[in-house]
Amino acid sequence: MRDILHRTWGLVVKEILLLSRDRLLLGFVLLGPLLELLLMGGLTGGGVQNLPLAVVDLDRTRFSRELVTRLDQTDELFVKTYADSVAQAREWMQSGQISVIVVVPPSYGEALTAPQQSAEVQVVADGSNHVVSTVAIATTEDVAAEIVQDLAARQAVASGGPVELRFVARFNEFLDDRPHAITAMLGLIVYQVTLIIASQSFTRERELGTLEQLRVTPLGRLELIAGKALPTLLIGLVDCLLMTGVIVVWFDIPVRGSMLLLLLMTIPFVLAQIGWGTLISLVSRTQQQALLFVFALAMLEVAMSGFMVPAGDMPGVMRVLSTVSSVQHYLVIVRGVMLRGAGVKSLWLSGLALGGIALTLSALAWLRLRLGLDTNSLRRRLQVLWRNYQDSRHERKARRGADKTGGRGGKKPKLTREPAYADVRVEIGD
Amino acid sequence: MSVRRFISILLKEYRHILREPRTLWMVFLSPAFVLVALSAIFTSGSSRIDLALWDQDRTPLSRQFAGTLSSDADFSIGHVSDYEEIEGLLVERRIDAAVIIPPGFADTVQRGDTASVQVILDGVDTLIAGQATGSLLGHAAHFGLALSRQLSLPSVPLQIHPRSAYLPNEAERDSMIPGLVPIVFSLPVIAAALALARERETGSLEALIATPVRGLEFLGGKLIAYVSAALGGLLPVWLVATVLFGIPLRGSPVLLVALAADFLLASVGMALFIGNLVRSQQAATVIALFVFFVPGFFLAGLIDPIDTTDLASTIFSYALPSTHFVTICRALFLKGATLTEIWQPALALLVLSAVWLGLGALTFRKRMH
Repeated sequence: MRDILHRTWGLVVKEILLLSRDRLLLGFVLLGPLLELLLMGGLTGGGVQNLPLAVVDLDRTRFSRELVTRLDQTDELFVKTYADSVAQAREWMQSGQISVIVVVPPSYGEALTAPQQSAEVQVVADGSNHVVSTVAIATTEDVAAEIVQDLAARQAVASGGPVELRFVARFNEFLDDRPHAITAMLGLIVYQVTLIIASQSFTRERELGTLEQLRVTPLGRLELIAGKALPTLLIGLVDCLLMTGVIVVWFDIPVRGSMLLLLLMTIPFVLAQIGWGTLISLVSRTQQQALLFVFALAMLEVAMSGFMVPAGDMPGVMRVLSTVSSVQHYLVIVRGVMLRGAGVKSLWLSGLALGGIALTLSALAWLRLRLGLDTNSLRRRLQVLWRNYQDSRHERKARRGADKTGGRGGKKPKLTREPAYADVRVEIGD
Repeated sequence: MSVRRFISILLKEYRHILREPRTLWMVFLSPAFVLVALSAIFTSGSSRIDLALWDQDRTPLSRQFAGTLSSDADFSIGHVSDYEEIEGLLVERRIDAAVIIPPGFADTVQRGDTASVQVILDGVDTLIAGQATGSLLGHAAHFGLALSRQLSLPSVPLQIHPRSAYLPNEAERDSMIPGLVPIVFSLPVIAAALALARERETGSLEALIATPVRGLEFLGGKLIAYVSAALGGLLPVWLVATVLFGIPLRGSPVLLVALAADFLLASVGMALFIGNLVRSQQAATVIALFVFFVPGFFLAGLIDPIDTTDLASTIFSYALPSTHFVTICRALFLKGATLTEIWQPALALLVLSAVWLGLGALTFRKRMH
């Protein structure tokens, strides 16, 4: 046992030394996440604001002006210009100068106040950006609801009064966009850093030829994986802690739940990335290939993470697939702990899922390592197994043939058996 | 600058890309593959809002109010009966909002007073919270009006007819797919940064130093090899968008190819610049992902439009080639724009490619450290 610890420790020290020699990489691994979080957190999260609006006012009454003023007063929209015709406004939208067109029909004021009529306002939003059009439409609907509410209040008769909605936003009183975006960044940054470092571990050694040397050391398979995994785990945890500090101090978003829980849940998350990374680095021949695998995987995981589309809104197949996306579970945990103050009681399922993913991937990585470090060896082993199988069939057939002819005749099959496995094997223990 | 040496470097790079099926696949086909993966998450329908309803009043009128909410197909409503349950559901993300009809709701309304209905929103995802607010406000206003005009026909005095231009069925997917095109091309671009860092790390750059190949020829060969390979990948991407997802390219294909080439020149220029700065492929990977990956989603205007009121945000966003290409792809695919309508982002790309290529060429040194 002490030997195992000793050997693993040696590998950990070597990995850390290697990392500390590449100053640029070390800086990027430790400070990059902070810088990126500061930069992106500061730059985004304003949400959708001040969408340029063109008004086609065909009514020109006090009512239509009131509508326009109310639209202009919202945070989301601002009246950039007036157009004489819809066609003109459409041209501006085509070249991207405006995002929304509001068309107030003639006799809008009349229809609004007449009891049996209804005024119809047309809103055309630039659908080439879905978020823009959703926000623009929701905002005009809010404004319309306000106007109707006021109207109802003015017209209120004795028989009934209007219903008023009182909104309370939990977890985020002022409906600030930043917490949502910043927690996603925290998850994605921890994800990319740990996955990259893990994925380059074996490939780099192979490309530089030092893998051969590692293979002749007494390091066992598990020790090899553990020694490679520990520094990455350390980096992941340190990054998570540093970034949480920045989020709390700089962005003033308090951690409502337990920080310890978040760090504990980060462990299986990083382990899952190490599992993926080790697997990738075991099947790629060059670091370039490893990166390409990482990138394809990262795209899939980010897609399924619920960061662009909530997991519940995805089409069936992707919703099922998203349950094996570790990023998705991690984002649920990060947002749960930091923003909702959730405890183990409501997060245990996500934690369990992360643990399951990490365990499965580590098992796969261990199995892959068992098959030998060379990417070709899997194919070679299968070939050898196949040949052995065919040989034994020939042998049996030949023997049967020999039995039938009473021990005479029946050509003996030519046996070309190779040694089943010629690689230097890495074994655990002494 | 010798054309022969340039071509021999170009051929060498092509051989690097071609000889490994995995690299070839990743450089040439991965954009289409990633596009399929990223696009598959978007449904063509609108998103549903999960609502918890607590009717404390239990009168015909409160049920009528609940009825107007449940008639909306966008709401999926569950009934609850205390605050703790609501709090639990909110913490576990099972609902987006809770509507609480107070006791005495019907009495208050019939007395002619204003009844307050409480709505508790999950404030974490502000986009969903905003959607929920908008639809709930609309229902409440219409309900109130229907009551105040009790005997007359409850016609709605103000109706909004929303329409998304360029998107007849308002499908989120249709607007996202063209916007994702720049991101899916990050892979071949990063591959170029790695190709450079790899020569340095494995020492083959040292061997090249001994040859008469000049720095610019070497860099140019790498650049053209990766840009052209990635440009070839545009065809599968275009096929995926039009055939698989049914989004026709309304603009000119020639313009798309030309601007894509411009975008790739700028991005690969940026990647080569990164490749010049670093010593190991690992570092190149980390930096390239920091520059291309997360900002591609957050800063390039893919989801939230660029906040032009903030100077720093504007500068950073516009320094990224993807920002301009997102605008271009959306305009070309969805709006059918012509060059006169998108000359601004096109020009910006041209300037960016000149700047990044220039920086790449200036920082490149044909020697070891």
